[in-house]
Amino acid sequence: MSIRALWIITHEKGEHVSVRFSRRFPTVEYRAKSLAGSSYQAVPEDSAVLQLLLTELGLADPGKPYVAQRDDCLNQQRTPALELHVDSSAKGILWPVLVISRGPLILACLPLVEAGEPRPPLSSLLSVSQGLTLLEGLQSFLGGSEIKTDGDGLAPRLALMPSVLQQVCPLGTPLDVPQARAPSTAGVPAAAGSPRQPAWRTGQHRGRPAVNVALTETVRCMQYGDPSKQDLWDVYGTVTCKCDVEGVLPNVTVTLTLPPNGSPLQDILAHPCVTSLDSSILNASSVDDGDGSAFSGPYKFPFCPPLEPFKLCSYTSQVPVPPILGSYQLKQQQEVNHLRVSVNLKLHESVKNTFEYCEARLPFFNRVQMSTVDVKVSSGHLDVNKEKNLLVWVLGQKFPKSREVTMEGGIRFSGQLPGPVDPLCTDLTAYIKLYFKVPDLTLSGCSVDQHSVQVYSCAKPKIVTCRELQSKEYFIWNSTGPAPVSSGQMIL
Amino acid sequence: MAVSWVERVASFLRSPSRFLASTTAEVFLVELLREQRDERVTYDVKLTMLSPLCEHPTLLCPSACTGEETCLELMSVFSHCPPKYTEFRCQLLLTLTTVLVSTGCVSAHSHASRDFLELLLKLAQDTYYDPADVPSALRSTRAAACECLRELEACCPSLLSQHLELLNGLRQQENPRHHQALSGLYAVVLRNGVHLLARQAGAGPEGLKALLGGNAAVAWEAEPDSPALTDRAAPLPSVLGPSGLGPTLQTGPDCKELRSVLSSLLEESYLLTPLSQAALLHALTEVVAMVSGVSPAIFKAQLLRLLGTSKVCLFHCTLLMKAAFTDSLFSAEDEAFLLKRLVALCQHPQMSTAAQLFYTDCLVHFPENRPIGAADGGEALPVLLTPRLAASLVPTVFDEPATMLARLNVSALVHLEEHGAREGGAAGGGLAYLWEHLLLRLHVVEHGGDRAAVVTFFRASFLFLCHFGHVERHAADLRRRLCALYLRHCRLAPHVLNLADRAQDGPVRPGWAVALLRSLQGAAVSAGGDLAAVSQKDLHWHLRVLARVAEEGQIGQGSAVDFLFAVATAASPPSRNEDWRLGSDLLAVCRHLLAHPGLDALLCPLADVLQHVARHHGDTDVRDHARLYYSLLTALSREKLAGVLANGGGGANGGRQDNKRALSAMVVESQDLTSALTIHKARTPVFHLVAKDRAGGWAEPTPAPEDDEAAAAGTDPGAPDADVLSSYRSQLLSSGAAAEIALSYELRHLDVGPAGFDRLFSLRLHFEPSAGRFAALADVCVPRLFREGASAAPPAVTLTLRPRAPYPGTLRCSAVFTAQDELTWHAALPDVHVAFRQLFKPLPVPASWGPALRLRAFERLWDEFCSGGDGGSVGEGGGGDASPDRASSLFCGRLGEAELEALLEEHFAPFRVADPGDATGHRVLLFIPPGSHVLLRIRPQEDAVQFHMATDNWRLLPHVNDFLLSVTDWEARNGVDS
Repeated sequence: MSIRALWIITHEKGEHVSVRFSRRFPTVEYRAKSLAGSSYQAVPEDSAVLQLLLTELGLADPGKPYVAQRDDCLNQQRTPALELHVDSSAKGILWPVLVISRGPLILACLPLVEAGEPRPPLSSLLSVSQGLTLLEGLQSFLGGSEIKTDGDGLAPRLALMPSVLQQVCPLGTPLDVPQARAPSTAGVPAAAGSPRQPAWRTGQHRGRPAVNVALTETVRCMQYGDPSKQDLWDVYGTVTCKCDVEGVLPNVTVTLTLPPNGSPLQDILAHPCVTSLDSSILNASSVDDGDGSAFSGPYKFPFCPPLEPFKLCSYTSQVPVPPILGSYQLKQQQEVNHLRVSVNLKLHESVKNTFEYCEARLPFFNRVQMSTVDVKVSSGHLDVNKEKNLLVWVLGQKFPKSREVTMEGGIRFSGQLPGPVDPLCTDLTAYIKLYFKVPDLTLSGCSVDQHSVQVYSCAKPKIVTCRELQSKEYFIWNSTGPAPVSSGQMIL
Repeated sequence: MAVSWVERVASFLRSPSRFLASTTAEVFLVELLREQRDERVTYDVKLTMLSPLCEHPTLLCPSACTGEETCLELMSVFSHCPPKYTEFRCQLLLTLTTVLVSTGCVSAHSHASRDFLELLLKLAQDTYYDPADVPSALRSTRAAACECLRELEACCPSLLSQHLELLNGLRQQENPRHHQALSGLYAVVLRNGVHLLARQAGAGPEGLKALLGGNAAVAWEAEPDSPALTDRAAPLPSVLGPSGLGPTLQTGPDCKELRSVLSSLLEESYLLTPLSQAALLHALTEVVAMVSGVSPAIFKAQLLRLLGTSKVCLFHCTLLMKAAFTDSLFSAEDEAFLLKRLVALCQHPQMSTAAQLFYTDCLVHFPENRPIGAADGGEALPVLLTPRLAASLVPTVFDEPATMLARLNVSALVHLEEHGAREGGAAGGGLAYLWEHLLLRLHVVEHGGDRAAVVTFFRASFLFLCHFGHVERHAADLRRRLCALYLRHCRLAPHVLNLADRAQDGPVRPGWAVALLRSLQGAAVSAGGDLAAVSQKDLHWHLRVLARVAEEGQIGQGSAVDFLFAVATAASPPSRNEDWRLGSDLLAVCRHLLAHPGLDALLCPLADVLQHVARHHGDTDVRDHARLYYSLLTALSREKLAGVLANGGGGANGGRQDNKRALSAMVVESQDLTSALTIHKARTPVFHLVAKDRAGGWAEPTPAPEDDEAAAAGTDPGAPDADVLSSYRSQLLSSGAAAEIALSYELRHLDVGPAGFDRLFSLRLHFEPSAGRFAALADVCVPRLFREGASAAPPAVTLTLRPRAPYPGTLRCSAVFTAQDELTWHAALPDVHVAFRQLFKPLPVPASWGPALRLRAFERLWDEFCSGGDGGSVGEGGGGDASPDRASSLFCGRLGEAELEALLEEHFAPFRVADPGDATGHRVLLFIPPGSHVLLRIRPQEDAVQFHMATDNWRLLPHVNDFLLSVTDWEARNGVDS
């Protein structure tokens, strides 16, 4: 349940690679040596580890089209754990090196395997899930997805790493994940003699009590406009809380409710601060047809809040219709570089017609620049990007009363410069991607009533709840060209 | 100074080996410790300076002794450090723990470890707690001390097992801030204690009770011989391995104390951070798994909370509990629920990619209550995972490579069963979907997908083949499509070849890879139709492909050689003829063809190609190599050629991969090739020739050629004496056989010879006769010589000598042969001595001459040699000259009757000429090539035997004398009288 070493690496698309931080844990190494016996492989120095890691990640030698060690089809990297071949012998292997990589940041660690030969399955090692949890915690501490290697963000955070590790992983056994913001400002320690305080609530709130509950739903969609292909969409939601309440072990309950005919929330995941869960809450799952005794709320989450904002729970939901139904047709005209475009988007009746923003993007790949765009839209306005390979249809805050908008016209491609390349979108394979956000709406109908938030503490806190719907990967494929099918529903 | 220290430490941490190259560990350690005592150095810098010791303690303290001294130093630093520098003090404790453990100092005999343990226990008990400690310090010294104790216990199990009650008391104290550290510590000590107890034979409930109630004094001096400190145990492996559960402790149902401790720990587990909670739950799972008296149901209250968690480590803990307790904690319904939950987590949009991958791995190693297959820890699909459940796990074109491969794997496992259930009939939708998905990936590659897309496609193809290689229509289709892909994008050749290699080595149905390579050969060769249209790069890839295809013995290479000829002789563009790279690619194909089993059929066309390249290529290096190959092809045997290619090409440890990475795949003029082509000199003889018979080799009686005339003469005993001699002499001249002696030997290893020569092949023996004695000998070939038991007969060697003079001589011998290392060796053999007696031959007369004729010839020769006048020497072809070489002599030996008979039988039997009329005398006629005679009349006297000699070459007399002396040695006391 410990890790032998940890590395933080930055790179820019495989170039300018460097180990920005590393830490070894010799006591864990001592255990590893004793437990592994003759199959023990010591951890080499950082530069060697770096090279091996890059090879396994396919980042080494970016200029070479084929490198045997890097590109061998036998290297089936199907788990988050890599094998590093320190030397050519069968024993010179470091395993399991866990790696999570996002943007320019690569985080890696080597968990201890508390067994000798033969190699146990990854799933039997608690140190693996611990290592992953630690790495993900470090990743979000270092800046989450918006990391810039040269930026001001990373260097100061890296400078904090030694003291952060002294707290969360002093001797190689991860105890906690670092908190993104310094918690000491918010909390004061509890006095002796008070009831047990959770280790993840490192103090008490002093000040005006307030509870914020935000519910965000995200909708993903694939529409083909083809009767032989089933359209797909799914919805998932997240409840984020920020609870500034007094007490060592304050108790808060948030209740999610569905409208009377709402379909049940599925695949519910709860934050570890939730004290108890009802089994009925967990029963509904997206992966089976569900049983008749579907529980549809209310969903109660009693918890003792940490001081910082946290994701209380998340869920998925199956809604009967997508919020915006679209059709997209591209037709090749007689001239080679002339396409006829026809788009229709229809907002579903159940969806509130008040957007924070709504736009449709029509990218054109593997073609030269657009020269003439002779396209009319029934609502909103049309922009062509600077590179002349993307149409942006800005629909603004509202659909018209008819809840239906159209785009018709022709586009000629006879510019000088080639546009972006996408190996998937060749010929008439093309899509529209919708970007929108609707405040105060959830597709599942799920809501958190302000009055249903219960706080058991002396002072009555101010309670704020909100909800919103946003799109992500919302595709409408051209129905006159082939489109990639991406769902197992097709099998069934 | 301070800055420079920060930099020095950073430089050390970047690469300790490079840093220590400029100084020594000893010096660096001394400097580090000195700075720690320096009051002018700030605690921030001191903190940084602990890192080298904290991360590389064994480099700086190579011995236990240094470790001990360093720890004592650091403890004195700790005692002098004001409590307000909490972070430094904590780091110091961690460093001390690290150094103690890493250098192996944790033992009762170590002052440092005793003092340090005492300090840690004091700190953990809060008795050392300084009120001046800043309360906002997040991880106090106390928590750090607990962590150090936990690590010490993990590294040296049972170190603290006698303090369980003390620790339990501390844990339950009403101090809220350290319960996580104390719970973790307690759980590890408990787990180790129970583990060691369970290993002891006969341990029972009393042992457990004693363990829980253990409350030794804190002061270690009180019991320096504590078993925990004296017998340092090795870190304990997890008892929840895939190979089954670890030891169990038989306690009976009465474990009240343990149960209550476990319950209290579990109740408070919720208050721990997820990571610590998972570790605690895992340790407790191990304890319950080892103690038969505690029911796993104790975890029941925690399960729902754990099943609903969003944290990977907590859910994983549940899976581990499931693996440990199966149906004693999870009913069949629970199992189905857990599996559903796991499948949902594998693709939950809120899960990170790494977590999804991990869950997918857990899915194929799902701990079933009633596992059917894959008990060996391999991948297996849970029975409950239906295609319906798995439908959400199909790969999509938007997945990241690793996710896609993981899902492809799971889906393939699912639909493999489905496909199997349909007995290969109509394929299920699953297989069709996966095939479509593969084609979509192929589409991306065909339309300019980047390197990652290419690599991913080939990995996916390999995975698909591993699962569905037996579905012929897809396997054949994939083959066709890969060929088409290759023709469109020749640069993908290394990927295609890699796939072929792996498919050949791996679990893909045999024959697929060969079929792919055969198709690739066709594709590459088809480009030969219009070579001018093929780009230089594509040609390079075609040749690379053909080189790989040429490794396959089952694939005919005729078309490939034709293609090579076309490439070698193509006129345009002329620059190609200068291209070293192209030339070397071409030769690489030739090189593989040289090793092809169908080489015999390719010999002429391949020689044409090589000759053409050797003469006309623009690059000297290529020409030289072509010439070398040509020589190898035309001069070496198949076996030798194979040996040269195997050694010269890839190197001893180089597999196929290594060959490919070499800049040129030509035979490199390496040490290996040179040694393969060189004849090596063996310093000492390896084998020798041993005469076959006991006496040192009588000449084999050479049957004289049938001579009709002589035979006719033989039938006529009435012919005049002069005719007998002239007839004898004339046939002697006409037949060369008389001048030869054949000696039989066996070739044997020397008893003591150099190593590595036990199995020899293709031996060629060469002989150098001593000056003037024998005519030059032909070499003798022996196919093999093994040093094996007596069972295998050693090879026989017959030497046919043509003496030039009738005297004994010596043959100098040497041999060239191939040893088992496939190298060619030259070795000298011990000289072969041809003794005088080995030259003896019977009178070389036709077989048809009867005894009477032989007797007459003997008498005539005797008369002639003893007469001293007329008649010529036989050897000189007769004539009228009186020969001065004729001589007669007498030798006397003391022999009895019986001894004489034995001697005659032994030494003269083939040469005797019988005279029925003379019962007492014996006649012996020795013919000594090339043309000398020695005649003996042996007459027994009273107490001796007289050997009357007559010869036509008096120079033989000393040799005859020596010979007779040697054979009568034990009898002959008398001197020689002549």
